[in-house]
Amino acid sequence: MLRVSALTTETEIDLQGVNGNAASAAVGIDCGAELVAFADAIAYRKTEDLADSRKRLLDVGGAEVVVDAAGVAANFQRMVRIADSTGIPVDDMEMEVGKEVRAALDLTRFASAQNTLNPA
Amino acid sequence: MEAFSFAQSPYPIRDDIPQAYRNFWQRLASPGSWWTGDERVAIAQESRSALKCQFCIDRKSELSPYTFKGEHSHDGKLPATAVDAAHHIITDQGRITRAWIENNSDSGLSKEAYVELVGIVVAVFSIDEFHRALGLDLEPLPEPMPGEVSRYRPAHISEDMGFVPTVPPDGAVGNESDLWEGSRGANVIRALTLVPDALRDWREIAAAQYLSFHRMTNFVQDDNRSINRMQMELVAGRVAAINECYY
Repeated sequence: MLRVSALTTETEIDLQGVNGNAASAAVGIDCGAELVAFADAIAYRKTEDLADSRKRLLDVGGAEVVVDAAGVAANFQRMVRIADSTGIPVDDMEMEVGKEVRAALDLTRFASAQNTLNPA
Repeated sequence: MEAFSFAQSPYPIRDDIPQAYRNFWQRLASPGSWWTGDERVAIAQESRSALKCQFCIDRKSELSPYTFKGEHSHDGKLPATAVDAAHHIITDQGRITRAWIENNSDSGLSKEAYVELVGIVVAVFSIDEFHRALGLDLEPLPEPMPGEVSRYRPAHISEDMGFVPTVPPDGAVGNESDLWEGSRGANVIRALTLVPDALRDWREIAAAQYLSFHRMTNFVQDDNRSINRMQMELVAGRVAAINECYY
């Protein structure tokens, strides 16, 4: 979806932001580094980093950005668990944009890749 | 005080978020398709307890979660298989297998009950994560309401993908006609459809926290969001990567 939204808006981005690279996250995306730091603190359950990353996002983006980013992070904490706990495969492995993203991010390293690549 | 008032929040919270949470809290307390109100609230409690469960912490570091023996921290209101399922979904979802779900089914946790449990666990977890992200206290769980389970099963069910039966892409008809109207039945949308109300729950919460199905087709910026779609997807992608989710 990140790649699709970048293509739609003709924005140059660096997908390695998804893998946690702060400099990459900032390419073409407003508050990208701060958004990734906030997402990291939430998903890694880094309690000690959460308040700091939230403050940094507040400073650069404002309160509404903090709330909307928290909502998205909370939503995807749920979505990944729905996907993995029901073993659903990727819908269309032939889509070029999907192939590109999976290769760029080396997603086959994840155990749950087997739900698509080698379903039991 | 009304649930999810966010009176202590230092941040302005859109009205649709507490409304979606309140609606879910009401459904959480009510009898479901396969679990009573008492059981559903107990499952919600296990969604919270999992994060503090020492057995889960120890098991996570094991090569396989299925050979490590021990006992979860829990309050005894649910069968052991249900407690294990709730904790596994929260703390180690990437290593859930079809065989584990089949074994649970043989041990009394039917696939229907499992799917409803998944829906409860992840909805509560997601609502709690929103609170934790903003440094807010968690909402107390609702008081269970009495009543019988419906044992509702959709008319059209397929076993063409994943670990559990689902409504097929062309099966959203009759009582299920609302499930993905105006949208295709993507696998992640179909995932919980063995219990259609579980999808309805996630759909309403997702519309508030992220985007509705209809608004997902806008890849630029939703009028009701302060962050554009790239910013949303960067956060979504990062969370998915940390959770090692291939989907």
